[in-house]
Amino acid sequence: MGLGKFLIKRTIQGVIVIWGVVTITFFLRFLTPGDPVSALTPPDAGPEVRERMAENLGLNDPIHIQYADYITDLLMLDLGTSMRTGRSASIMILARLPATLELALAATIISMIIAIPLGVISARRRHQKSDYAATMFSLLGISTPNFWLGIMLIILVAVVVGPIPTGGRDVSFWEATVMLFLEANPRGFGNWAIHIFLPAITLGTYFTALLTRLTRSGMLEELGKTYVEATRAKGLPETLVLYKHVLRNTLIPIITVLGLQLGTLIGGAVITEEVFSWPGIGSFLIQQIAYRDWVLIQGILIVIGVGFVVINIIVDAMYAKLNPKVVTE
Amino acid sequence: MISKRLKQSLRSELRTSLMAKIGLVLILLILIVAMFAPFLAPHHPTETRVSDDPEVDKTDLPPIGMGYETSETRLVDGEMQTVETTIEPDHSFILGTNTLGQDILSRLMYGARVSVLVGVLGALLATAIGVPYGLTAGYFGDRIDDSLMRGADMMLAFPSLVLAIALVGVFRDTDFHTQQIPDPFVLAARHDTLGSFVPRGEHVAAMPASITFPVTVTLVVALVNWVWFARVARGEAMAIRQEEYVKAAKSVGASNATIIRQHVLPNSLTPVIVLATIQVAAIILLESALSYLGFSETTLTWGYDIQQGQSAAATYWWIAFMPGMAIVIAVISINLLGDWLRDALDPSIEGEGGV
Amino acid sequence: MSNVTDILRIDGLKTRFFTDNGQVNAVEDLDVRIEDGEVFGIVGESGSGKSVMALSIIDLIERPGRITDGEIWFRAPDIADELVETDAVDGDYVDLRAMSPEQRGLLRGSRFSMIFQDPMSSFNPSITVGEQIAEAVEAQRRARSNPRSLDAKSQHYGLTDYLLGGVLSSKRYVSEPSLDRAIELLELVGIPDPAERAEEYPHEYSGGMLQRAMIAQALAGEPDVLIADEPTTALDVTIQAQVLDLLAELQTETGMTILLITHNLGVVARMCDRVGVMYAGEIVERGTLGDVFDNPVHPYTQGLLGSIPDLQGVAERLQPIEGNVPSLLDHEMPDRCYFADRCPKAMEECLEHPPELAVNDRGQHATRCYLAETEYTAAKALPTDYFGATEAPAEADTAPEEPTATDGGDHQ
Ligand SMILES: Nc1ncnc2c1ncn2[C@@H]1O[C@H](COP(=O)(O)OP(=O)(O)O)[C@@H](O)[C@H]1O
Ligand code: SF4
Ligand SMILES: [Mg+2]
Repeated sequence: MGLGKFLIKRTIQGVIVIWGVVTITFFLRFLTPGDPVSALTPPDAGPEVRERMAENLGLNDPIHIQYADYITDLLMLDLGTSMRTGRSASIMILARLPATLELALAATIISMIIAIPLGVISARRRHQKSDYAATMFSLLGISTPNFWLGIMLIILVAVVVGPIPTGGRDVSFWEATVMLFLEANPRGFGNWAIHIFLPAITLGTYFTALLTRLTRSGMLEELGKTYVEATRAKGLPETLVLYKHVLRNTLIPIITVLGLQLGTLIGGAVITEEVFSWPGIGSFLIQQIAYRDWVLIQGILIVIGVGFVVINIIVDAMYAKLNPKVVTE
Repeated sequence: MISKRLKQSLRSELRTSLMAKIGLVLILLILIVAMFAPFLAPHHPTETRVSDDPEVDKTDLPPIGMGYETSETRLVDGEMQTVETTIEPDHSFILGTNTLGQDILSRLMYGARVSVLVGVLGALLATAIGVPYGLTAGYFGDRIDDSLMRGADMMLAFPSLVLAIALVGVFRDTDFHTQQIPDPFVLAARHDTLGSFVPRGEHVAAMPASITFPVTVTLVVALVNWVWFARVARGEAMAIRQEEYVKAAKSVGASNATIIRQHVLPNSLTPVIVLATIQVAAIILLESALSYLGFSETTLTWGYDIQQGQSAAATYWWIAFMPGMAIVIAVISINLLGDWLRDALDPSIEGEGGV
Repeated sequence: MSNVTDILRIDGLKTRFFTDNGQVNAVEDLDVRIEDGEVFGIVGESGSGKSVMALSIIDLIERPGRITDGEIWFRAPDIADELVETDAVDGDYVDLRAMSPEQRGLLRGSRFSMIFQDPMSSFNPSITVGEQIAEAVEAQRRARSNPRSLDAKSQHYGLTDYLLGGVLSSKRYVSEPSLDRAIELLELVGIPDPAERAEEYPHEYSGGMLQRAMIAQALAGEPDVLIADEPTTALDVTIQAQVLDLLAELQTETGMTILLITHNLGVVARMCDRVGVMYAGEIVERGTLGDVFDNPVHPYTQGLLGSIPDLQGVAERLQPIEGNVPSLLDHEMPDRCYFADRCPKAMEECLEHPPELAVNDRGQHATRCYLAETEYTAAKALPTDYFGATEAPAEADTAPEEPTATDGGDHQ
């Protein structure tokens, strides 16, 4: 099987899962008590007005027609109209998306920068002090609720560093970049970094701990294999033995685990955003649950579900690319 | 089911691993505290001690050894004055009090009850849903496996916390259940049925007569996490159905249900037990997150206490700090226990979970 | 130190593993001389320390193992020049043990290289065979472009270089010429369509082809000494012969020295000039092929050879000898001949550990057995159950798992 064929197969599977996700959220509408008509019409509206609104929303159609309409709208990237504000759900969610992506990406990058070297050192110095320290750290990291960690970090920073922003987001990464390149003004960037720092650390801690654990045990397993001896025997510098051979092979299976664990990262983002008032789709979701705006809730669920599936397809593609056996066998 | 060899490897793992010992001791400690909270808690967990009289005001007391200085403005001799005062810890409030003047330690002890109940029952429920599902998929394979597991994949497309929030949102408006679980110790003490068998009788009698058990939240965490059990059970069933004894059972005409019950289920229990242990930790974290967000209908939980302490965290750091530490300790000890079981039973199992 | 044709002289080498169960004396007081350009065979049962000896020479012993004692003198006039005036030099010879780990690292591939038992697990599964061989070529190309062979700094290739190599092709470790050379090497070891096969991954090769590729990789640095640790054990019988022929051919062409480790006596008879028989971490008998095969003195050697009269009829595999290889655990190693509990000719003097004794005056043939000097008489024999009651159970307990657990250098 070639890489292309593998990807096509994987994409078809992904599409099926996405279809399921969409269908589940469609039926969510019928489970929820909130009534879109009452939400969108003034409280004193007469029955004709309500009837017209229901007609407009397609609520009088038989269910399969509603379902077909719903899917068609989705294919046109239309997530419906917010029950509370009457604005386009797609636009509202899209406006919130960059903040979450920035946060998730920053957390992932910080995690990798910390966890991979930590795991490598830990495996290399097995049963030495630094190994125990790293093991303790990763145990703590996977056992700490991140909302609490966020609060504690806020307190700690306030005491140690002094007043730096511990909530909200002034500029987006995009705006900061524009400021840097068009106006040669690095302040936007500094502002962006100082706001995202704590949330990213908070969100990244679980991931860092998990990745450290996986890297350590993977490295230990890999270092025991004969090819490592053979690679050393041919005179390759130790850096290359460790990184090009051992670490690379360690990370290949880890990639798939991380793909699944991205769910944890997104879930963590929801609550991290809440702690730090970060204006992403996570805190948005919690807000909408409070407002009971089910159209927006459905929209957010679809965006998260689809995003997760797409990321996993990308992860699988990376895995296939790095692991020749998947493709050639 | 628990063979001699198994017991042996459990014991030898425990002997060599300091971490396993620590985990086991902590777990027992937490269980004892949760069970006997009415005896052990120094104060009533929800009694507030707010008062205008500064002498009896017991709000925001620091933990023992953490006295601090503060200045407050109050009316002295008819005019406003700013006076420096030292807030001294009170020795009967070991971990201090919160803004409502509730004893933090007592609340943590009662909070342990909710965490333990939701964690254990949630994991059991998830096992009860996931294992039969996964066994069916893995045992029959092919089409059935494909369609069942594709369904499970859809569950995985939602991060557990997101799914849990959405489900709580749905249930909250339809039928959200909590159950008052009466406290047998307190009732016994109040009715004096056990008489002198209950030590500290009066103290226990003054404790809350029941605790609020969040039924819906327990259902939700199980609905969110059963998929992991399905995946593990499926993998086991796929391996076991290739075994000779299964083929032999088939050849003598045993029904599929019988084979699953008698052969496949017992042989796939080991990884399920390990996973269930790790999942208790994951569920405790999930429950605390839901309570923190205010999505649990009970307020005597660690997560809620963190939220409650958050606004005051800048000055009264301990109010949010203590319940968090309780969560960390509980989750760490369960994870240690899980590591121990895994190392002893089957090192190949991978655990997932966490918020 | 008179015989200048020796390329390697190992004196009193001790390699130990410090495991949870105790100290394992995997190589114990090992003395051996290997001549320039010969094929020297090492035979012995599984678990007798052959692989550990090989890894000690090439300096690949890892924790919990360590070489605790001994000297490894290697003939290398150019290195001796560089290190002159230090303890590590004696004439044309350098003591590898006295060199720094960095310096020894530079000898791997260029002076010593090694081929392993199982080619499939000795290649990295996720990198093409061509690239892996090119790495070996590149390591030596970089070493040779450097006038001083022990200058570790200029060969340094750090993490930053590697990371930059991902972006800048000029920073990549493996260069074009090395890749071309890798293809030449594949052709040299008889792999058809070498250019295409270089692009393939190890799992796309057959066992025999992959072992050829490993030989190609080992030849990349034109080593002085090639250590072959059971190079044919994992292969089919027909393929075995081809691989051995290839090794013999390459040896004649390049004149390199081969240290051939095997437990196949047929292989030894076919390939080797001289042989050392290993037991419990020691060389218990050594000499020319004729000495050892025609005139074995040590009862262990005799046992291995069975009752075979001459070279032509040598058995393919080691004859199983009753009893088990000792555990090599320090606290279980008695202060007597290690073989005594299995030896049909154990005598009273054998209760003291035998030194290496010359068998004849020519000096080549030596053995760690009193039979080199004394005749066996029934009068001196130990009672048959002398060891049976006291030691056998302990050994039977630990020994069976040793060979499988460690053979092939698995550390985990
Ligand atoms: N990594 C290791 N850790 C502990 N002991 C080892 C290790 N490698 C080898 N040994 C010990 O060294 C002894 C010799 O092993 P080895 O050299 O592999 O035998 P051979 O190659 O002759 O079959 C074995 O008894 C084994 O117990
Ligand atoms: S020294 Fe004695 S016990 Fe050892 S091999 Fe020779 S005869 Fe046998
Ligand atoms: Mg070996």
